[in-house]
Amino acid sequence: MTADVFRQALDLITRVRGVRGAMLVSGDDGLVVAEQLMEGIKGTAVAALTASLAGRLRRAMDAAGVGSSVFWHLQAEQGALLVVPGIGEGGLLVVAVAEPDVNIGLVRLELLRAAEAVG
Amino acid sequence: MTARAVEGWTLQPLTDFVREASVRLVLLMTPAGQVLAQFGFSRALDVMSAAALGAAIMASTGELARQLRQAPFAALNHQGQRHGIFLSSLATERGAVVVLAVYDLDVSSLGLVQLFFEQMAEELRAASPKQVSKQVLAEDFERELSESLNTLFGR
Amino acid sequence: MADDVRALSAELAQDPQSLVFLRLGEALRRKGQLDAALRVAVNGLERHPHLADAHDLYARLLADKHEYERAFDEWDMAVRIAANHIGALKGLAFLYFKVGDVAQAEAHLEAARRYEPDDPTIAQALVMVRGGARPPSPTTAPALEPVATAAAPAAPAPTAGVLDESQVFAGLEGALEGLVLLDAAGMVLGGALRSPAGADVTDAVAAYLAGVSQEAARTVKLLGLGVWAGLSAEGQHGNVHLAQPSKDALLLVVRDRGVPLGRLAILAQRATATARRWLERQR
Repeated sequence: MTADVFRQALDLITRVRGVRGAMLVSGDDGLVVAEQLMEGIKGTAVAALTASLAGRLRRAMDAAGVGSSVFWHLQAEQGALLVVPGIGEGGLLVVAVAEPDVNIGLVRLELLRAAEAVG
Repeated sequence: MTARAVEGWTLQPLTDFVREASVRLVLLMTPAGQVLAQFGFSRALDVMSAAALGAAIMASTGELARQLRQAPFAALNHQGQRHGIFLSSLATERGAVVVLAVYDLDVSSLGLVQLFFEQMAEELRAASPKQVSKQVLAEDFERELSESLNTLFGR
Repeated sequence: MADDVRALSAELAQDPQSLVFLRLGEALRRKGQLDAALRVAVNGLERHPHLADAHDLYARLLADKHEYERAFDEWDMAVRIAANHIGALKGLAFLYFKVGDVAQAEAHLEAARRYEPDDPTIAQALVMVRGGARPPSPTTAPALEPVATAAAPAAPAPTAGVLDESQVFAGLEGALEGLVLLDAAGMVLGGALRSPAGADVTDAVAAYLAGVSQEAARTVKLLGLGVWAGLSAEGQHGNVHLAQPSKDALLLVVRDRGVPLGRLAILAQRATATARRWLERQR
């Protein structure tokens, strides 16, 4: 898996209007694998917190019997976090940080494409 | 379980770090292995062993970096099946402080530990008193060690 | 009948704004020409979006095509426009009865009877609902099929007062399962959740969710995103939405994969409003 593949995958996401940054995060460690972020976004914090939240959400969804997460979206007053777990092994997460009024459907689509590209 | 500190200025940053990073064990110590604060240990022997080993690892890797003509490593992480061990140091006015943290992989992660270590480092720097140089006599050392252990274990 | 359709079509062609589309749509529906009837209904709705009868016609056609979720939406809209719309009240009662929510079915029929006390069809429907009869067969209009998890947003029940006040989600579709209200410590306040295998997983899920909400709050705070407003997730076998009706409470809505996240969010909004009212009453 080359840096180019990662960059191209993140390009797909950051092209969407309203996306402030995109990252590939190691879900197990909460570490940054690759990132394209606007100024002011703390990549290490996004990675660590997103991975932690993903883990907790996964356990809750398993308990509810709805299966593993395919896509999740955390909505907040001043922004949003959108995440697609990667397809392959290794627990990679594809993450977008976005404005609150971003086109969620479009971001979701690009996250899924990116996950396939890096999977 | 509560955090305990020989040097009071370390207590709040340590407590915050434990809460945010959800770590299981933490030691704050000098590079020589003198313990400043701890969380999670139940036996003095374990504290002394961990402090000695942690200080030795930092010294060894520091020397390794020196021989490679590099700056000292920012942090070390050892990952086992169920636990991770994180070791790093930071500079304060009081002198260098070494942090050893053990975390459950199910509960925390390297990313979280690193993230909140940075936060703790800032808080420790802000809280640290100025270095006071002191000549340590042998009997002082033993008394101080004993007092430290009593403080660290709430006796 | 064919003459009727021709005449009505001609009338509509002469004046596309006229309400004759309602009669034309109904005539086509009776002839079984559902696709043609739908086109007429949709065109009429575009011109008359605030006409309850138009939504009612569309809903009946959707129900005929077994698109029950969308039918629910349309009847729901019709009663929002006109709370006394008998057709919509009966339609909603029918859908509730189909999914086994007899209380809601009865409530809607009672509401209809208050507006039209002499309508014999309402009385018959009430007898059927109260008598524990099975829902009408597919050969009687409207055509029916078992609804797996009818998950359209709930209609505002005009007779909310007769429902059991102790049920947190009284008045909401799926009140017995798939809606859970919990406090910040992960203790259940109301609702229930079952796994696909039928096990009661309410308490376990509630416990995990407390951690999810704390982590969500911490995440948005540390990333400077303000206060968190909701968390929705698509799973392989179902979708979930987590909301905060108050700072001390969480609401979980779970539906199968057939309910898209956007629809789930709407349902969650309504459930959140209900939960908020209930929480305020507890204080």
